[in-house]
Amino acid sequence: MKTWSVRLAFVALILMGHTAYGQEKSITIWWAQWDPAAGLQELGKDFEKETGIAVKVHQIPWPSYHDQVFLNFGNKQTDFDIVVGDSQWIGRGATRGLYLELTDWLPQAVDISTIHPRAARYLCEYPAGSGKFFAAPCETDAMGFVYRKDWFEDAAEKAAFKEKYGRELTTPDTWDEFRDIAEFFQRPEEKRYGCSILAGRGYDGITMGFQPFLWSWGASWGDAQTYQVQGHVNSPAAVAGLEFMKSLLEFTPPGGNMADYFSNNDVFLNGSTAMVLDYFPFYPGIVASMGDKVDFFMVPAKGDKRGISLGGQGFSISTKISKEQQELAKQFIAWFEQVRVQKKWITFPGSFTANTELLASAEFAEAAPFNATFAASLDYLQDFWNVPVYNELLAVSQRYLGEALDGVKTPKEALDHIAEEHELIMLEAGLLK
Amino acid sequence: MVNSAKRGRRRDWMKYGFVGPALVLLIAMNVFPLIYSIFLSFTNADLIGGDYESRGGLNYKVVFLAAKYAGALRTTAVFVGLAVGIELVLGFALALALKGRLLLKPVVLTVLLVPMMLPQAVMGLYWKLVLNGNYGILNQILGALHLGQPQWITDPALKFFSILMIDVWMWTPFMMLIALASLNAIPNYIYEAAAIDRASKWTVFRRITLPMSAPLLGLAVLLRATDALKQFDLVMAVSGPNDATTQTLSALLYQVVFRDGKVGLGASYSYVVLVLVIALASIFIRYMAALQKKQKEAPA
Repeated sequence: MKTWSVRLAFVALILMGHTAYGQEKSITIWWAQWDPAAGLQELGKDFEKETGIAVKVHQIPWPSYHDQVFLNFGNKQTDFDIVVGDSQWIGRGATRGLYLELTDWLPQAVDISTIHPRAARYLCEYPAGSGKFFAAPCETDAMGFVYRKDWFEDAAEKAAFKEKYGRELTTPDTWDEFRDIAEFFQRPEEKRYGCSILAGRGYDGITMGFQPFLWSWGASWGDAQTYQVQGHVNSPAAVAGLEFMKSLLEFTPPGGNMADYFSNNDVFLNGSTAMVLDYFPFYPGIVASMGDKVDFFMVPAKGDKRGISLGGQGFSISTKISKEQQELAKQFIAWFEQVRVQKKWITFPGSFTANTELLASAEFAEAAPFNATFAASLDYLQDFWNVPVYNELLAVSQRYLGEALDGVKTPKEALDHIAEEHELIMLEAGLLK
Repeated sequence: MVNSAKRGRRRDWMKYGFVGPALVLLIAMNVFPLIYSIFLSFTNADLIGGDYESRGGLNYKVVFLAAKYAGALRTTAVFVGLAVGIELVLGFALALALKGRLLLKPVVLTVLLVPMMLPQAVMGLYWKLVLNGNYGILNQILGALHLGQPQWITDPALKFFSILMIDVWMWTPFMMLIALASLNAIPNYIYEAAAIDRASKWTVFRRITLPMSAPLLGLAVLLRATDALKQFDLVMAVSGPNDATTQTLSALLYQVVFRDGKVGLGASYSYVVLVLVIALASIFIRYMAALQKKQKEAPA
């Protein structure tokens, strides 16, 4: 009898424990595997302390992040409550009913006027500028250059540069100045190279790398209202931009025609390259490793035109979860967007904010050597198409831009192919009438 | 009489009872998806679900007209032809070298077999490091020897051949193994008879070794060709699924179905490829059958 009593008590304890466990509230966030995601996991502990709701950040390696997220959206119920989706995904998420619409809720939870207008436009709204929200800012990101300050400040280098080009060796403000400096530092015999731009063939590398040239030369991917592509992406200005981009490959380390986000980080860290293009969240690692040998500058302009690829991601809530989980997700996002939380968020490596008040503060500018350049870059952000068929458009541009840099096609041929195929995709998707 | 009929009926039910579960599984796992994917190939079905509608033959039209589909088919054909050809020649040569008595033969054989026992995806990533133009060990060795340092995985003229080279490194041992088995199966007395007839080494190779090992080698070619046709892991690891110069059928299918989410279009492409593969395999199998028949009919 006594044994049975003990057994019953044991079972009751297990059941109580299970019930208590079942009542624990938590949200699951999916994001790519990088420093900001680790920072978000840390920040989530504060949210748990304040609310009792646990935050689990599931990190997926970048190369398979997109595929895993959309495969999961194919299920009746997603394994995540919040996905930190790339800016281009928002059209697909919004129109296919995957992302919860936040139009009514977001302005109540967050003061929209404090979100940088470019971040709100490209990270949160679909269609861009429509005022319909499907995401809230999480990681606002931009491209920028890191350079070898010690080389630029070397007296002998400065004198040699002035003698050759007739001006001071300073960070370039235009692409022509950039090319001169890249040419100047190109010394393969010394294993020293001028620059490394982005030309990776993975998910979106070469497309993101080409965009600053496309926009600075005065061209665009197409008409955002009519979705007309011909005459925009293959305009003479776009061809000239791609030709210029290709000409810079003369000054890159070996393999520069396929340089991606990670290899660019490597060629800078190995001390071989003067100027490297990448997204800002890669830079805390470089600063930690190279200290005051390095500094940063904004993506150069062509004349008065400057365009910088946006790289941020927003929080989107899955429609394929319960209402209760959606409410918890909203609670977390509202908490995250508070200024006091954003202040802590930007202290984590590679974590950036869209909050204009913080971006303009001296505190932010002085917190890291790249912050001031980052804040200045935001005003020039633009993005690739974020329509539902973005991925097909991206696959086409990746393929033909790669062929142009590889010399398989001329820049004009490559851009003509892109225009032709993009137009077909837009037509088929019913966007282009 | 009645009892015997009952027993017969019971035996019939038992037969169905034993075969039934396997049959149901086969229908559920193979036959149904096959038929369902034929249906999907005429629709605009999307990976993330939702409603879809018929597109008629539009998917098939796209497959036949868009250059990238023919491009991937061409890349795969060249890959299969070169990979299987090189592996066959190298594997057969190695088998000939290892056929006789050799010091430490078991050790040599084991070492040679290691590459094919390793996972392709892991080997792809490993070779990507080895072949890296800037810090890869191969270029470091070439540099130390004052030789050129090609950009193995970024140079458009080389990246396809780099993947081919990795495949050859991995699968030559497989060809060698089957070739060695076929060589060992040739009876010694035939070689002794040839020696009595004073046949030259070349004649022995051409008239005895090659024709008698041909059936097994043919099987090896068929197995390897089928496998190479599905080449995916190495392409994904070395250059990704969307590089025009290295995009094989499987890589393109991955791109279409899993990146673009176009299940219908992917299904139609798969069926076009399936028809082509069945046609080629049928021709090859008939050729092999004819070869075997000819051998059986040849005078001893």
